[in-house]
Amino acid sequence: MMDTHIVEVINVTREVAWLPWAVQYFFLIGLSVGGLLLSLPGYAFARDGWRPLGRLALIVALTCGLAAPVALLSDLHQPGRFWHFYVVFRPTSWMWWGSLFIPLYIGGLLVYGWACLREELQAHGRVDSRLAGLYRLAALGGGRDDRLIRAAGVFVLAGAALVALYTGVEVAVVKARPLWHTPFLPVQFLTTALAGAVGLVLILNRVVGTADRGVEVLGNRLLAAVLAAVMLCGGLWLALGLSELDAGHAAALDSVAGSEAWRVTAVWAVAATVVPFVIAVARPAGTGLLTGLIAVHSAWMFRWTVFIGGQSVPKTGAGFYEYALPAGPDGLMGIVGTAGLWLFLLILMTALLPVSSTPAAGRPANASGHPGGRLTAAE
Amino acid sequence: MDRSRRNFCLGAGAATVGAATLAAVPRDADAVSASGDAAHRWAMVVDVRKCVGCQACTVACIMENDVPENSFRTIVSTYEVTEQGRAGSYMLPRLCNHCEDPPCIPVCPTGATYQRRDGIVVVDNSVCVGCAYCVQACPYDARFINHETQTADKCTFCVHRVEAGLLPACVETCVGGARIFGDLKDPDSTVSKLVREQTPKVLKPEMGTQPRVFYIGLDPKMQGKVDGTPTLWRPAPHAEKEHA
Repeated sequence: MMDTHIVEVINVTREVAWLPWAVQYFFLIGLSVGGLLLSLPGYAFARDGWRPLGRLALIVALTCGLAAPVALLSDLHQPGRFWHFYVVFRPTSWMWWGSLFIPLYIGGLLVYGWACLREELQAHGRVDSRLAGLYRLAALGGGRDDRLIRAAGVFVLAGAALVALYTGVEVAVVKARPLWHTPFLPVQFLTTALAGAVGLVLILNRVVGTADRGVEVLGNRLLAAVLAAVMLCGGLWLALGLSELDAGHAAALDSVAGSEAWRVTAVWAVAATVVPFVIAVARPAGTGLLTGLIAVHSAWMFRWTVFIGGQSVPKTGAGFYEYALPAGPDGLMGIVGTAGLWLFLLILMTALLPVSSTPAAGRPANASGHPGGRLTAAE
Repeated sequence: MDRSRRNFCLGAGAATVGAATLAAVPRDADAVSASGDAAHRWAMVVDVRKCVGCQACTVACIMENDVPENSFRTIVSTYEVTEQGRAGSYMLPRLCNHCEDPPCIPVCPTGATYQRRDGIVVVDNSVCVGCAYCVQACPYDARFINHETQTADKCTFCVHRVEAGLLPACVETCVGGARIFGDLKDPDSTVSKLVREQTPKVLKPEMGTQPRVFYIGLDPKMQGKVDGTPTLWRPAPHAEKEHA
């Protein structure tokens, strides 16, 4: 066997071109899609048992969905030119398709969210307060309309499916990066997004909700199921890579297998999936905040590893590119800023429509007596 | 136009006479056509046996194209290769491969990056939104974000020089004549002959991109992602053990 050793003496280090903004975007849009899916049984399909969880999921879908495009726009190095997407026809680019799907989804989400919350807006409009007029205006003189909610729900479900499809495929088609170029990636994005969304619902249940035990148990059961799917996908990816049945997956695994940092990341990722899974299965009540925090962290870490870690693997050079998180807008400030925007949206939404103050629990000044019923007549 | 710097000098006299006789209107280097001339298919052959790793091409490219600090459109990757106890240097000039099937183009969401009819892949940085999708899609790490224009940037084969009848700056400056530039559609061009007769290799042929930068004397170990120890300025403990 020939003993060859190569030392790279001079080469260029390519910096990451998809910045932490991209991580934030994929994280937030994923959580939004996940939140939307979780809200559908309670609202679009009128399953009352799912309503409390759906209410929190709706917050996840709306707050994350509104913050996500800001992060995406910031990831463009020429954000002021975003309109260039809309004056060309580029069907070969999944990113171009994404530029169509995003407004479709966000627009649909806003209509759906309004339809779902219209009942609450109407109830708040009946309370004797300075903002009552605004609530009434926002309710557009109506209340709960299940047909409207269902129609909007079906529309936004299609939008969410397209967003989930494009975000996954956009990355998976990049043949130049073996770690990304796998059909598992879109499924992994979706399953980890669902896990993150359930996790955020569990956190919000404690932080802005009523610490509803039913929501916590249901959320933990859902989380366990989703995490099982995450583990299945990860296991299949690893098995394909190890067995070398598929050259692409073997190359992907091989490109990082020798790295100590990647091994630590892998152990971390497994632990962040297995631990909340075990807790959620063993003790679904009373552990929601813990499992939720781990699940949200895990969903973010997955995206960080895929994007920032993936770009640290040189396409031609030896070893790995080093990455240090910059403190400015292209790094830490971008992450903190996006999180701040999301927090602002959460505060705004929960201040205007408190979760604990649902129509049934509100103080209607001239309630019709059926706050949960269908109200279509103008006041 | 078809030669390395050496041959170019030899033919300079003839070219001067030709230009005077034909009295052709000289093309303005500032007015680079967007689509190029389909009568040509520009390509480069790199004879790595002749490269001495001086990085003159790297510097010439930076000067010619005003490449920002810390960015490179071309660079000579340099490796120390130890084989059966004997150490030697290996040089590999890298640049955009101006592929026949460039994976950077279909991903572009705005059409800012495109291939001219003469095969040169370019970026219109007045259209580019800096999404960096093309940077990800290039299998050769040949693209980067230019932080002065905040758009995608890469080697253009010095299209502004080629349009003016000049050689790319890296070819012009190459001391060893390792870089040969020319027209593949001209069967008598040096690049055509070299491609025909020397059967040169390309980088990452398995990607199916059909690069139009060819290499003579390319070591298969360097053809894809190099399996080696990263640069000396970042020694890894395990690599030191291997040396011991």
